[in-house]
Amino acid sequence: MIFDKNFKDILASSMISTSGGLFAGIILAIYADKIFLIPGILVLLPGFLEMRGNISGTLSARISSGLFIHVIKPNHIKTKIIKGNVIAALFLALIISFSLGLFAFAFNYYIFGIFTTKIILLPLIAGVIANLIEVPLALFTTLYLFKKGHDPNNIMGPFVSATGDITSIIALLLALVIV
Amino acid sequence: MNDINKHIKKLISIRREKHHPLVHHIHKKYNISRKTLFYIKEYGPHSHVVKTIMKESLKILFLASIISSLGGFALEFIKPLFVSFIPLVIMLPALNNMIGAYGAIISSRFTTLLHEGKVGKKLFKNAELKNIFCQVMIISIITTIFSLLISFLMSYLGKGLDFNIALKIVIISLIDVMFLICLIFIISIFAGVYYYKNNEDPNNFLIPITTSIADFGNMGILAVLIIIFL
Repeated sequence: MIFDKNFKDILASSMISTSGGLFAGIILAIYADKIFLIPGILVLLPGFLEMRGNISGTLSARISSGLFIHVIKPNHIKTKIIKGNVIAALFLALIISFSLGLFAFAFNYYIFGIFTTKIILLPLIAGVIANLIEVPLALFTTLYLFKKGHDPNNIMGPFVSATGDITSIIALLLALVIV
Repeated sequence: MNDINKHIKKLISIRREKHHPLVHHIHKKYNISRKTLFYIKEYGPHSHVVKTIMKESLKILFLASIISSLGGFALEFIKPLFVSFIPLVIMLPALNNMIGAYGAIISSRFTTLLHEGKVGKKLFKNAELKNIFCQVMIISIITTIFSLLISFLMSYLGKGLDFNIALKIVIISLIDVMFLICLIFIISIFAGVYYYKNNEDPNNFLIPITTSIADFGNMGILAVLIIIFL
């Protein structure tokens, strides 16, 4: 049976994450003349977008597991596990953003012969901005969904990839203004 | 009670990366779920949560981000051409999300079939496998058409849209998505069976493999198709 419950579930989650991606794409298209002027931006962009979903997605999954096995209480957020998870997510984002910047810098330098440090600073600043929004958003949405009786595992995946794309593109634009 | 506390303390003091029979013992004796015991072992009071997460996640996150970025290499070479087709720019993040998500779905569902023993010798004649393929293929076509409609609408409202270009973008997007779904499906099956036969859980390997191939492949194939068609 092709059109069963699984079909509906996959279609619904797929539509949510696609809508987030499209929204991010529209912002990208509006500011294309600014964003795509930076050499190496297309090397940076996919990894940068992927990172947000990976970091916040795994944060949400860890928090969900903790909630289900009662190691984490939805009303007590100032615990060692939650604080540790949030700090780790922020540190991971910083390190990966910096690495992506270095990677794009190396690509520019060795392939195109362009020396620009802007490509290192850009993901670093954008990574900080995006994660200051995305990490608390993922955490509080997971706790909220659990309190309301939902399984965050079924909802957070598409939610994080959708919101992650949007916050990442907006953060990149803000970083462009700062740099 | 003292007995269980003693066991739990011992469990916490075990090095995280080690699988220990004590987990199985406590699970059997006190009927505490394996998930709870795993969590206690990983993030217990004596473990450093930040360090644990950083140590376990950093390598795979780094690898996943770099592989995704490698796909961007191809598009970077044809950037002026790519950027001139606004619907493709709008669709890029959505296509990456979409194909990565289908990679995860195909992998996890195929792994479940393997664990349930529902996969026989004639892999490609398996009814459930055919069902997964058809579901993912139909959904991918629906979401691609949805993405195309939105991107065309936005482009039309912005700088206008040429019908011939729009038609080519439809062909490019559909070929890209359908080709990658087939590729991911074949890789999931062969790699899944391989890992399963080697007594390893395919879940741990298939999802990172397929999502990385999805990101890398999507941008690479898009670049090739743009050069061919546009």
